[in-house]
Order: sequence, then structure tokens, then C-alpha cells
Amino acid sequence: MQHSPSNLAPRHYGAINWIGLYTLYRKEVRRFLAVGTQTVLAPMVTTLLFLAVFVLAMGHAVDLVGGVPYMEFLAPGLIMMAMTQNAFANTSSSLMIAKIQGNIVDLLMPPLTAFEITLGLALGGLTRGIVVGLATAAAIWIFVPLHLSHVWAMVFYAAMASLMLAQLGVVAGIYAEKFDHMAAVTNFIITPLAFLSGTFYSTERLPDFGRLLAHLNPFFYMIDGFRYGLIGHADGSLLLGAVTLIAVNLALLVANYLSFERGSRMKP
Amino acid sequence: MSAVPGSPISNLRRFGPVNWMGLFTLMQREARRGLQDYNYQILGPVVSSLLYLAVFHLALRTTGTADSNADLLNFIAPGLIIFVACEKAFECAAGSFIFDKHERIIADLLMAPLSPAERVLGYLGGCCLAGSAVGLAVALVTLFFADLSLHSVGTLIFFGLMGTMLHALIGILVGIWAEKWDSFAAVHTFLLLPLSFLSGLFYRVENLPEAGQALVRFNPVFYVIDGFRFSLTGTGSANPMTGAGILLAVNTVLFALTYVWFRRGYRLKP
Repeated sequence: MQHSPSNLAPRHYGAINWIGLYTLYRKEVRRFLAVGTQTVLAPMVTTLLFLAVFVLAMGHAVDLVGGVPYMEFLAPGLIMMAMTQNAFANTSSSLMIAKIQGNIVDLLMPPLTAFEITLGLALGGLTRGIVVGLATAAAIWIFVPLHLSHVWAMVFYAAMASLMLAQLGVVAGIYAEKFDHMAAVTNFIITPLAFLSGTFYSTERLPDFGRLLAHLNPFFYMIDGFRYGLIGHADGSLLLGAVTLIAVNLALLVANYLSFERGSRMKP
Repeated sequence: MSAVPGSPISNLRRFGPVNWMGLFTLMQREARRGLQDYNYQILGPVVSSLLYLAVFHLALRTTGTADSNADLLNFIAPGLIIFVACEKAFECAAGSFIFDKHERIIADLLMAPLSPAERVLGYLGGCCLAGSAVGLAVALVTLFFADLSLHSVGTLIFFGLMGTMLHALIGILVGIWAEKWDSFAAVHTFLLLPLSFLSGLFYRVENLPEAGQALVRFNPVFYVIDGFRFSLTGTGSANPMTGAGILLAVNTVLFALTYVWFRRGYRLKP
């Protein structure tokens, strides 16, 4: 078949390569759905275990926390923890494995801009967070009544939190060169921030210094805001939380954009 | 060494009833493998145990049950120590096999002049050692926060050994059976984690509903945690002798099964 020179011209996209972006997003989503037992069912089981353990350990001696029984206080935090951990795992493992197996080129070669790559990965992680959130919420609902007092807050904080952790996962995935690095980031940064964020206890009753520290942790605002959406009670300021989360997300978006633009740790 | 043509048999190395050097080498390899990257293999479990302690401490403190707080920390700490040691023993054994199978270096194990019993013992020893090392590290750090006294050294060693052995044996079986890391993760999340979490690691089994209290007696991990806690605090929910008997029986059965699998080369030899 003969090509006239005009047929050899490069393809042009509009401002955004929608097909490419959608394809990357779909790949990220299918990647976790293919192993649903591990990525959706496992967090459900772990969350229920945590619920059982805490409720049994605290016994019946526990009074109201934040105006509701301890179980109802705990549930939103556990759902949020599952969402964030999985959003983080999705992007970080995707990049990490692609780097180790060498198929990272499949991400770098296609006609995708740095912005489209960042967005495609982050939205994939966001989706995993939301899917896991819905699954764990459904499982918890069997045992704990969930009220949905402010749906807008619930949706906003769930999306912002998943997006933030998905983007942190991109940062970690770009940085890490071995599974050890990734384990270190998870063990020493993500899990402590998540555990000490007020999931299991109300920061209101911490000593002053402890409360100050807790309020410096961005994870606190995600859980607090999400919990407000469910039980109508927040420990901290909702506005401050929303602003913090939006700011952190924007900063991460820029940082990841720059990393992909430079190809740091990915291009030779 | 001069080879004698025609009688190669005479040049074979001979071992006594036990190939001590081979056994020791395998054990050493497994233990080192389980601990080589101390940054996350030892520090990781230490940090997560401290997190569990901190979270329970804060949760109790802020819900107004502070009087029982110290009690609960002392109750959780021994459980955490043995839990972490057992997790490491399982991970060490199962991870080792799956990795070797994927990298196709499992032949190094099959070719070595080791009898099936020596292989089981080698893996078992190495992984129990790795588990104990991590448990010891966690114990040292926990001592700052919980008030533990050594009640009985004998039971401490016995239950520590039985617990890590149980998990290492399960790990070997899972490692031989599993073809993918997914199976490893599935056994961990859907079997071992529930068995540990629901067996009185963080709460007294007396808090369970009656059906739960009856069910938990069928869970070998319950006896590991309970017996180990008995050796550090002097109190337990079950009779330590019953626990010891059950654990010995379960471990013997698992050991025999592992031995048979190795002997037949199940899933390892073509």
C-alpha cells in the first residue's frame, strides 16, 4: 500500500488525548478488578476483623464517643482507612511492578502527556478507593447502623482522601526502586499516619499537645470530615480540612506532573 | 581428589545418619533470608506493634476506661510479641518457597544431599529462628510501655517454639502448594489473620459470646497466644497443659504431612 506524504503526518490530538487517558484509566481499573479477592474482598475481611477486635477489646464499659456509641464512631474511620490504603496500594504497586518488570515503557512510549499519565493513574487509584469503600461500608452496615447525615461531606471527603492517597502512591511508586523501599514507605509513613489519625479514638480528649500533633496530620481531616458525613459530628474544623485536602491534592498533582515530565527515576 | 575410573561409587561423600553440615547450611540460609533487610523485616514489625499499642492506649484513654488501661496494655503486649514472631515464621517459610519456585532455583534445594526430614528441619529451624529474632526485638521495645514479668521461662520457650513452628509448617505447606503470590496473600488474609485476631490477641475470650468461646477452643492459635501470655503474666484463659498437648499434636501432624510432601516431591519435582 502506498502512502502519500500527507498520510505520514503525525496524528494530532486536541488539548487532551481522551482515548489515551481513558485507556490508561481502564487499564488501572481492570488491573485491580482482575484480582478482586485480594483487592476488594481482603480489605472487607480485614476491616470487619478490626471492628470485631476493637469492639470486643473495649468491652461494654465504653461510653459515648463524639455523641454516638463507640461502634458507630469507629465504623467511618475503618471505612476511610480501607479506602485510603487501597487507593495508595493501587498506584504505588502499579508503578513499582511496571518498573521492576520493565514494562514501564508501555506507559512512557504512548502519546500521553505527563499530565494525562498523572491523571490516569490517580483516577485509577481513586476508583479503587471508592470501590473498596463501598464494599467495606456494605459489610459494616450489617453490624453497625450507618446514618448518612451529610451525604455531600461523605462524598467529598471520600473522593479527596482517595485521590490524595492515590497521588501519594504515585510519588512512592516513582521513588521506590525495590519492594523494600515500598515496604518502608508503607510501614514507616502511611500506616502510622493512618493509625494515629483519630480512626480509633476521638482527638478531642487527647492532651493539648497530642491534639495539636493530630491536627497537623492531613489524614486526620479525611477521617474527621468523612465521619462528619456519617455521624454528624466532627472533632476539627471542616473548612480547614477541606482547604487542606484540596491544597495537598493540588500540590501532589503538580509534583507528579513534574516527575513524569522529567521522567525522574523512569527514563534513562 | 583422584577419581577412580570404574568405581565411581567409592568416591561418593558419605554422611552419618544426619547430614549436619547440610542441615545447618539450609537453616542458616533461611534465617538470614528472613532477616537480611533489617530495615523493614525487623523494624517494620516493631513499628506496627508499637502502633497497635499506641492505638489501644489512646482508644481506652479517650473513652473513659483509663483504670483498666494498664491492664489491657499488659494483656496485649505478650500477644503482640508472639503474633509478630508467628507472622514472620509463616512469611519466611512460604515466601522462600514461592520465590524459589518463581525464580526456578528450587532445584538448589532438591539437588542438595539432604533427606526429606533434614529439609523440613532446615526450613523449620531457620524460620523459627527468624521469627524468634523479630519477636525478641518487639519484646525489647514493648518493655518500655508494658509491665511484663517473666513468669516461667520453660513455658515461654515452649509456647514460643510451638507457635513459630505451627506457622512455619503452615508456611512450608502453603509455599509448596501455592503457585502465585496471590495464594500466599489469600491464606494470610483469610485464614491466619482471622485465626490470630479472633483468638484473644487483643481481648479476653471471656468477652466473646458463648458460641464464640466454644469455637475458639478449636483454634490452635488461641492456645499459642494464651500459653505465651501465661508465661509472661501468669494468667491465662485455658489450661496451659491442654494447650501444650493440642499444639504438640497439631505440630506433629503438620510435620508428618510436610515430611510426606517432601518425600514425594509433591509440586516440587516433575
